[in-house]
Amino acid sequence: MSAAPRKFRYISSDRRVLEDRRFVVGKGNFVADIVRPNMKHVALVFSPHPAARIVKVDGSEALKMPGVQYVLAGDELAAAIQPMPNGMPTPEVKRYPLAVGQARYVGEWIAAVVADTRALAEDAAEKVKVEYEPLPFVVDGKEAFKKDAPPVHPAHGSNILLDKTFVWGDVEGDFAASPRKISFSQKWGRSSTVPIETFGVIAEWDAWREVLDVWASIQMPKYADQIAGSMRLPMNAVRVHQDVDVGGSYGVKRGIKQTVLVCYLAKKLNMPVRLIEDRLDNMRGGDAHGPERNFDVEIAFDDSGIIRSMKMEALDNVGAYAGRSPFQLGKPIGAIVGPYKIKSVQYRAIAVTSNKTVQEAVRAFGQSPTNYTIERALDEVAWALNLDRLEVRRRNFIQPHEFPYLIPSGTTYDSGDYPGLVNKVAKHADLDAVYAERDRLRAEGLLAGVGFASCLEPSGGNSAFEPLLNRQNKTTTWMDSCRIAVDALGTITATMHTTSAGQGHETLVATVVGEALEIAPEKIRVSRAHTLDVMPSNSPVGSRMAIMLGGAAFHAANKLKHKMMTIAAHDLGVSLDDLVWNEGTVSGKKNPDQKLTWNDIVLIAHRHYYRMPEDMEPGLTTQHVMQVPNGGKLPTDDDRIQMYPCFSFEFHVVLMSIDPDIGKPEFRRYVIGHDCGTVINPKIVHGMTMGGIAHGIGAALLEEFAYDDQGQLLTQSFMDYLLPSAHEVPKIEAVHQVTPSPLTVFGQKGSGESGYLGAPAAISSAINDALRPLGIKMNSLPLKITKLGDAIAAARAKEAKQ
Amino acid sequence: MKLDIGGEERFDANIERVWEMVNDPAVLQRCIPGCKSMTETGSDQYKIELNLKVASVGGTMEGMIGLSDKTPPSRCRIQVEGSGTLGTGKGDAVFELREENGQVVMKYEGTGDVGGLVAGVGQRILKGVAKHLVGKFFTAFRGEIQKAAA
Repeated sequence: MSAAPRKFRYISSDRRVLEDRRFVVGKGNFVADIVRPNMKHVALVFSPHPAARIVKVDGSEALKMPGVQYVLAGDELAAAIQPMPNGMPTPEVKRYPLAVGQARYVGEWIAAVVADTRALAEDAAEKVKVEYEPLPFVVDGKEAFKKDAPPVHPAHGSNILLDKTFVWGDVEGDFAASPRKISFSQKWGRSSTVPIETFGVIAEWDAWREVLDVWASIQMPKYADQIAGSMRLPMNAVRVHQDVDVGGSYGVKRGIKQTVLVCYLAKKLNMPVRLIEDRLDNMRGGDAHGPERNFDVEIAFDDSGIIRSMKMEALDNVGAYAGRSPFQLGKPIGAIVGPYKIKSVQYRAIAVTSNKTVQEAVRAFGQSPTNYTIERALDEVAWALNLDRLEVRRRNFIQPHEFPYLIPSGTTYDSGDYPGLVNKVAKHADLDAVYAERDRLRAEGLLAGVGFASCLEPSGGNSAFEPLLNRQNKTTTWMDSCRIAVDALGTITATMHTTSAGQGHETLVATVVGEALEIAPEKIRVSRAHTLDVMPSNSPVGSRMAIMLGGAAFHAANKLKHKMMTIAAHDLGVSLDDLVWNEGTVSGKKNPDQKLTWNDIVLIAHRHYYRMPEDMEPGLTTQHVMQVPNGGKLPTDDDRIQMYPCFSFEFHVVLMSIDPDIGKPEFRRYVIGHDCGTVINPKIVHGMTMGGIAHGIGAALLEEFAYDDQGQLLTQSFMDYLLPSAHEVPKIEAVHQVTPSPLTVFGQKGSGESGYLGAPAAISSAINDALRPLGIKMNSLPLKITKLGDAIAAARAKEAKQ
Repeated sequence: MKLDIGGEERFDANIERVWEMVNDPAVLQRCIPGCKSMTETGSDQYKIELNLKVASVGGTMEGMIGLSDKTPPSRCRIQVEGSGTLGTGKGDAVFELREENGQVVMKYEGTGDVGGLVAGVGQRILKGVAKHLVGKFFTAFRGEIQKAAA
């Protein structure tokens, strides 16, 4: 079941992104652009040890320096604030902005120095003396899971934050009945999104109004709630300014510890306080690393390559504190079988603490590692049967007529046409030619391979993983809101109620409201409310804003239209059903001369109350709070739940070569097919997808927070943490398909994570295809040149011996 | 991160003279790169202050140097431990002196363990930097020997 594509006035048209204008001319309003009077600056003292008891923090030398305002250590802070919330019921895993009593990873913030300038604060931070007593530590996830591993939080007793096994369907029966089984292990390495703008926050306390003002580079759900909770303030004393532009986030700009730290300092010192992380603060102590996940997988299938059942164990090394990171094992449950008809699944999700930097949400919230593993399973099945990898995917795909499709873990996929997009891409790419090119490259002496990935992007972000993994949590709404006001002069202002992380929400809202009211989007002002003026909303995460904010804006606009038509019907003395709306003018269906223009209706609503229907509120303001489609239920007793409502699909075809002497991989061809239902703004979706692929190339080949066995983080700057640049990102060919969602107002689905969901899987698939002639497989990401080069050299040496 | 240091140096001097100089805090202070001060705190125990630049970071370190297992004039063990804005460091080395063809040969071998800022930012070039610093030490030390001979 899929809704048919519709014709639109503004939706899907290739219009300018409204935000671009200010960014292109350098007039964004980023947190570093905001200057408050008498503002002070923070620098941080960090732990050089992976685990150590903090014996003493001595800031006396620092305080002697002129211009230094304060030195704060963890004990004082812990006594004055509430610990930051844990996602899981693990009350002994306490987390504060500064280490309290014990340092738990290299880079953890031990003390904060406040001074008149950041440079001065940094100089003073060097004078803070910290005495440590090193403690045993553990850095590897599998080691941390062992019973005798040193617990990162001794009071918690072990490193295990979550260890839960889900069984959906008759897994053992399906395994017993399947003639073939394979198993494999692989690891998704620790990388993240490292936006160019690090995290930044300013806090200012107004003691006479009792308001705490906060400006931040933020993408954190329930941000003001968390600040109020940690600061022990009523929530109506916290005003977060949500109109601060964010210089990239892709999940990680959660900054709650940074925020609570500066809020405490601002209130304590009664001065505006700012913390802008430098790259080192950010990389080692910004608590913004991504998932690091070991997978152990067993697959049961038949001789034709049909997969019947899957057992997956995912062990995530979340670092020293919990935060929301264990939930990144929960979200993929909503697409645990990918686009395939796998009948039963056993999924063991394990989250462990270790003496590494803390994890935060990264683009797709754990789905990309899971997709990497599902796609590897498809390749393994094909290789085991000596079948074409694409053919095995086709045989397992959910077919277009089977939607809505219920997967074993309780989520229903809304719509899709997977074979349709695969065929389009195969035709565009000319797969025979791609294989011929691979073989030509091989004949030249290179290693060469073709990779595939057909992956889902769950979208419309809900938080159903919270009650699923933590039964004490009964959160069943993740709403977003929009308010539309037509002022007395007839112009339109639409207000959204969350921050932006650069996804173009102003364009989204203007386009949707314009579509509903038949008014050019450029004429609509879009603003962001601060949190003392806010409707219930969450955050632009989980690939949700086209669905949720777009939905809220659409419904609010329709309510406005309805109110204006009701006023017109009353004034014209006709029934509502006899009127039509045409670009804001309301006229009679039968008698077009009987009409009220937009301005006529505005005048009635704002001034001429005597012409209004009885009991109607004056003015033209409407609003809508949008509940996530298909959401709202608690998980069943057998652990099934509708996770996200909508499912976008992407299909990658990658041709790569590897120089066998040095191990350097090179892209020869990159084609992506993408289907996110109705596209609201093609430029935004294209940008998201291209950026997502670049991000995926980083995760697959370059980016890694590498630790040595002493717990030292070796990649803290862009000298060592390698990002893909224009040299590493190839030309990407995109093929589009539109399979509308029946659940959303225009048939749109999410696209905030597209590209990233399949790129690492496709690249890994291509590299393993390239290495097959050598009889080796790569089982971990990132596939750095050194790793590839060493593996190829070892395989060749072995070959030479035989 | 772990670091291995080792090598051999030759000096035109007699073994007693070299031994004496290696054990002279004033000489060491002049030869150790970035050494701001070296204060005796006990028998063969010194407090040392360093000001160093490694890769893109510079900073200070404070630490202790201890000499032990001395067999004059041929063998000595040096242990170093320090911390500061550059991070933490620990080292343990043994040097041996012997006479050979009218020269003194100093053979040294040790391991280090570095943490914090330097490990994180300078790790790719840390081995090179360590070699460079050791080289600087011996250049200065050779100068001291020549000065003493003159």
